Amino acid sequence: MSCDEGRKPERLPVAAANGPLRFQMKLASDPRLLAVVRGTVAQFAETLGFEASQSRQITLAVDEALSNLIRHAYRNECNHEIELNCEAQEDCLEFTFVDRGEPADPARICSQPLDEVATGGRGTHLIRQIMDEVRYERLSDQNRLRLKKYRPGAGKQT
Amino acid sequence: MKTATRQQPGTTIVDVTGDIDMGTSPHLRKILLDSLKSASRLAVNMGEVRYIDSSGIASLVEVLMKARDSKKRLVLFGLNKTVQEVLQLTRLTTVFEIRKTEKEALQG
Repeated sequence: MSCDEGRKPERLPVAAANGPLRFQMKLASDPRLLAVVRGTVAQFAETLGFEASQSRQITLAVDEALSNLIRHAYRNECNHEIELNCEAQEDCLEFTFVDRGEPADPARICSQPLDEVATGGRGTHLIRQIMDEVRYERLSDQNRLRLKKYRPGAGKQT
Repeated sequence: MKTATRQQPGTTIVDVTGDIDMGTSPHLRKILLDSLKSASRLAVNMGEVRYIDSSGIASLVEVLMKARDSKKRLVLFGLNKTVQEVLQLTRLTTVFEIRKTEKEALQG
């Protein structure tokens, strides 16, 4: 596909000849950057054919994951680095978060039953409800979280 | 995110504009809890809220609990699709008192 100036592609091919469509962000653990990431992720999902409602939900899940990471891994300190990799595969979108903060509490990652009047815990619930796969790994001094959302019709949606 | 507070007979209305996320929800929480102290009924205009995350939802739940404890009312109105979707995902649509318009929020 050519990239003519002034021509805005409505949908990009997911698997380009040279591999999946992907980009990477490196950002500070500062909540003021959350809106920047939301705008980018929403546009990415819509460009790849997700409907507006699905795009909003995917954006919410990514935002909740970043917020959890800032709050828990980096204890609300704003000067640490977070790496976010976004990749469009043939059948899904995958988001990978890497940080060097505190290890995550497995009990918190495993979504607790939702208590309607609880003041916490909804972020993890939202992530698990929206995304099709959620995987957390502790790798030496890094946390790695992978969120996967299958494309409509891919047959693996929950 | 920005907020503006105004008074109607029997009700304090807080107009909220912009994104409610972990960076802005503490401010919203403080504004709503402060407003609740001097109001018998607090109505929150969500019509211009572009985004809300779980921290914003948690702030609203906390204000709701405070209102219930002190025999006051919290009403949300003007919810757009984005806010409605998050309330549905968190299964809170029946927990909050929700009205479509300001006029309805001021009634009863």
